[in-house]
Amino acid sequence: MPVKWVLYWQPNQGSTVSSQILNEATQCVESINGVKEGRWKAALNYYRPILREQANQAEFPRDFLGISLADQPSKYYFIIRSQRIVLEADSSIQLIMEKLQSYKSKVALYIEGFQFELGDFRLRVGKVVPTHSENVRGIVMEVEYLPISSIEKARKVMEEFLDMWHEALSKRSLPGKFVNIDLNFAEFGLTDSYTPQHTAVRYALVMAQMIATVQAVRG
Amino acid sequence: MQTLQQSQILHNSADAPNNQSESDDAPPKQVAQAMERLNQAARVIADIRLGADRILEAMFVASQPRHTDTPLQLFIREDASMRQHLQDLRLIGKKLEESGVLTESLRARSNSWGLHMPLVCPDGAVVAYAWKRQLAGQAGASAVDRTRLALKAFTDQKRRFFPHIDDGLKMEPRSKKTRASHSLLENGREEPVDYKTLLDIQSRLEKLVPNVKVSTYGRLDWLKRANSLPGSSSDDPTEASNPIFQSSSKMRSGLQTEVVDKVAVIELLFPSVFRAVVSLNPAGSVDPDAVAFFSPDEGGSYLHARGISVYHVYKHITEHAATALQYFLGSGTGTALYFLLLWICTFESLFSKPCSKCGRLLAMDKKSALILPPLHRPYQELPLAVKTGEVSLDDYEAYHASCSQDDS
Repeated sequence: MPVKWVLYWQPNQGSTVSSQILNEATQCVESINGVKEGRWKAALNYYRPILREQANQAEFPRDFLGISLADQPSKYYFIIRSQRIVLEADSSIQLIMEKLQSYKSKVALYIEGFQFELGDFRLRVGKVVPTHSENVRGIVMEVEYLPISSIEKARKVMEEFLDMWHEALSKRSLPGKFVNIDLNFAEFGLTDSYTPQHTAVRYALVMAQMIATVQAVRG
Repeated sequence: MQTLQQSQILHNSADAPNNQSESDDAPPKQVAQAMERLNQAARVIADIRLGADRILEAMFVASQPRHTDTPLQLFIREDASMRQHLQDLRLIGKKLEESGVLTESLRARSNSWGLHMPLVCPDGAVVAYAWKRQLAGQAGASAVDRTRLALKAFTDQKRRFFPHIDDGLKMEPRSKKTRASHSLLENGREEPVDYKTLLDIQSRLEKLVPNVKVSTYGRLDWLKRANSLPGSSSDDPTEASNPIFQSSSKMRSGLQTEVVDKVAVIELLFPSVFRAVVSLNPAGSVDPDAVAFFSPDEGGSYLHARGISVYHVYKHITEHAATALQYFLGSGTGTALYFLLLWICTFESLFSKPCSKCGRLLAMDKKSALILPPLHRPYQELPLAVKTGEVSLDDYEAYHASCSQDDS
């Protein structure tokens, strides 16, 4: 599977994120010869255990993230960051959890945006919105380098691509920048060969950062 | 006692249908009967094994001084049941022979309807519908596969347990490998450069470039390997799904003379970077006639020396490689393959070495409007550098197509 980096938009101190940023980013991709391929959708849910007895509470994590990825329509991924656990399940797991009344989705978010092809790169830019709301919580961007699947081998290529991207974006004088978080996949039991689990873990971190940023702006 | 009863039932059931002429039954029924008999035979064989165990046990007990009576009875009983089992087995065997399962009396059956009975292949596999062609193919293929696996296991074990026995090409002492500083200088002084044989070229290359995996194949074998590689759309990362083909190069040491004659495809693999395919024409020679680059994750029947990768970076390198190949073919007799393979190895740094002109790894290619790493590696100087022994793969220069001085 091709190596993928996930970036999130970090607004400057005092400014907020809006759909306008998404439009600007989209235009920027097209300015470096990106070709729009179609829409991009992904869904995230934060689950909380439904406990019959309060006594068991310590055994369960407070909450964990579930995510469906556009690349893997038949799968669903769970991440418990505190325990460094990432899990792949069939997409029917959501229905099962509902029927069993074991875990409930407390927060549901969608990522909506577009997908672009730039030669051997694939870009996706989208806004993060809660269900039934147009309130943009954040912007995420996925960058994939299709020919190779080794994270280490692709590192320099991705870094230089992002340099080019930052350079192109800086011409638009936007109040913020896209940030990439480096993380140690080995802690999650993942190897150098890229998999959807890597993406799931990246999103867990990105969402955590995004929520922290939103909270910081608010208050 | 039970076993005696069972074998009597066996007798009766085996006899009754036999009284009607078997050859009147339709092939599927014949096949079903044959399969049933084979199963019966297997059960009887299992019974015989158990009986043998019991007899041995009885003998053991008899050797103990205490129990005198019971072993004898046991013995008599087991003896009788064993004889019965063996009788049953003979009976089943005769029936199988008559119906053409164990022997090739296929042509003797006049109304076989074109379908043949289940056949027990020489290597033990049972084939239910033994259509002649399928049979030949299956028996042959399974025998070849088993032989290959056996040979691979043998050479692996030999290497592990008897490393001091010289295996031919692959036995490099470890110190030499770590010392390989990518420079031809020391090798140039050790022995005269010889590019005449494929094996020689391969061994030199493997000495110079420790990370490369060089394998050779016949044309058909390469097609099988290309198809067995996980394709770019598949999630399965197990590239070693068919170990037989990866062992082709290791088999060389055992089947040298045979295999070299038919080698038509050379594969150079730098794991996680690229896979290059070179074709030789005619097969068995050292004359390359085409080369193509692919992603290490690509697979499929389009993976051959005249195929085109789905990724732009490898597509462009392939085009560049074609001109390099023409240059090497034109520059000397019989040396083209070695220069080509050596030049291909300079691409190990494809995703790490920045352009020697602009200093960056990625650049927007003007002609194609794509962002690409430096795909050009100069080839004109390579033959001369090899002769004077001044080639250093680590420092080999790389250029973006737009930064490169020559046009291609």
